[in-house]
Amino acid sequence: MAYTLQLTVKKIEHETDTIKKFTFTSDEIPLPPFGAGAHVTLHLPMGKRQYSLVNNPLEMKNEYVIAVKKISDHNGGSGYLHECIGQGDNISVSPPDNFFPLRTEAKHHVFFAAGIGITPFVSMMAYLKTIGRSFELHYAASGERECAFHRHIQNHFRSKSTFYFMKREEKIAKLKKALQNRTMGTHIYLCGPPAFMDILLEHSHKLRYPEKFIHEEQFQPAVLIENPQPFFVNLVKTKKTFMVSSGQTLLDALHEIDIYVPYTCRMGVCGTCEVEIEEGDVVHCDSFLTEEEKVGNMLTCVSRGIGHIKLRL
Amino acid sequence: MGYYGIFKITGRLDVREVIQVSRLNGFPFPFTKDQYTYSNNSVPLDPAKTITVTADYKNELELKRKLLQKHHHRCFRSLPLSMESQWEIMLLLFNELASCNPESFTFQKKGDECLFQNHLLEEEEAFVFRDVSTIALEPLDLVGRHVQEDLILMGDRHNGLFLEAGQLCFPSNWSLAFVQGMEFKSIHNPVPGIQNDGFIDKVERFISKIRPGTVWERKNWSITVTNMLDTPLETYSVWGKHRQEVTCENAGDLIHLRVEVQRLFRLPMNHDVLFTIHTYLLQLNDLIQQESWFKSFYQNIKTLPEEIAEYKGISTYRTELIRFLENHMEKERRGQ
Repeated sequence: MAYTLQLTVKKIEHETDTIKKFTFTSDEIPLPPFGAGAHVTLHLPMGKRQYSLVNNPLEMKNEYVIAVKKISDHNGGSGYLHECIGQGDNISVSPPDNFFPLRTEAKHHVFFAAGIGITPFVSMMAYLKTIGRSFELHYAASGERECAFHRHIQNHFRSKSTFYFMKREEKIAKLKKALQNRTMGTHIYLCGPPAFMDILLEHSHKLRYPEKFIHEEQFQPAVLIENPQPFFVNLVKTKKTFMVSSGQTLLDALHEIDIYVPYTCRMGVCGTCEVEIEEGDVVHCDSFLTEEEKVGNMLTCVSRGIGHIKLRL
Repeated sequence: MGYYGIFKITGRLDVREVIQVSRLNGFPFPFTKDQYTYSNNSVPLDPAKTITVTADYKNELELKRKLLQKHHHRCFRSLPLSMESQWEIMLLLFNELASCNPESFTFQKKGDECLFQNHLLEEEEAFVFRDVSTIALEPLDLVGRHVQEDLILMGDRHNGLFLEAGQLCFPSNWSLAFVQGMEFKSIHNPVPGIQNDGFIDKVERFISKIRPGTVWERKNWSITVTNMLDTPLETYSVWGKHRQEVTCENAGDLIHLRVEVQRLFRLPMNHDVLFTIHTYLLQLNDLIQQESWFKSFYQNIKTLPEEIAEYKGISTYRTELIRFLENHMEKERRGQ
């Protein structure tokens, strides 16, 4: 979504020594609704940063709440939010999007979180509790003091939560065990540092856990080419050669020389303008093709060649 | 006879012409090319509106409610899993009705207490969000009685998109009862050529990637003989036989271009997909008044592949239809 919301920082709370909770609101506009697992994109001086929403989507009172762990100085996004943003400040925010939705068909939801990876699950658990569905949480942190939302979770989801504050080896062994002997229809959700995710993913593969029942938090920022470069194109069937200039899309260049490639969205979403690649390197900017399809195909509305490419047209 | 846009240049404007002009005006003419093409012809819609209120609102809602009353089991189906999304759809549509047509509808929500007022029908719905004891019908069934669109809920599951609830009064030769609970690809199996080059897989992938809060629109067309909106598979014996009655003399009266404006919307809260279908009918006699539409329609009927003509139910009378159109063309040519 192209538009942004101008929001005000209503409240800043200390969650732990290094984690702050920010509440954004607006007096003027109703904030768009969101689903459990959704994130917002903040537009900060150093670029766009995405953070999971921690509020309950069913009890949203025109507020977005995020929790941010400080992992940089004020030149980085988290440090900037911690050091330079105060109550009453304004901030540009892209409306919520969701690449980590709950699979509501699940008979049972199991959440594995490490550190600040807890954030999407705070929203998910609140939602599931409201609609009366079954879930449990396994949450690893270095200690109670560093454990974000510890008290909140104890207050609201105590019987469904297990905390892992022990030494690393013991933690890993116990988490692996929690993955085992799950009943059919259980969906697993993972969020945390890459090492944590890798260990649990690998173990789930070892257990032959069906892949479609395992979900990872994945931010998928749209690929945007900052400085598009001109490139040359050879059409092998119609035997034409032409250049796509830096300000032009391949789709437009094709139309200019009367090669009609159908199109619809011009955003790399619908897949209509797909063409086959004969040879050459391509920067893929679409969110449609699978990794396998990208080997021999490209969407001409957003993706570009590097140097010289050949297309089967 | 000259035309500028859709306005006919004559000395005076009689009633018949006024009606015709308004019908043509709001009609979503579907053809953009002079040849039939097979593609994912969806376009993003900004602002993201899922429904449209037209001049036929009262008539169509009367018919819709009659059908729901008489054939509820045929026109409304739902699975228990659909309940949360049904609630979300009800809020969404009441909100949209009120914000886009404030003179006709009002919607207020204080906490979970909701009040929707339909000033066109002089009705109101008071309910508590997510409290089933406060509504007499399921949410989708209730809100569907205030919009002209048919409403279909596709559940976005880990293994595909499934039809999990629907209020369907004006289908074009399909059955809600038959497809309830079915997966997207299976539902579309009857469409000829839909499996070629993985086309249906790509459409499904496209839908599964629609972002929250965005609406995509496509137009789908077919032909109805007579002006019936409700042509479900279940009553084929009633309306299907009219296909045999078309002649090159009566085609202008009998044949109606049927256009479904279909919109896809990702429900932000529950991540399922709402599919709305607004059906428009335009009599062929009206359609041919607009020269560019007539030409485009003729070319598309002429170039329609046989299996698509068969699927759309046109094969029976295609020859008569084409003759009617060519006769009209001839008359226009002589008139000039």
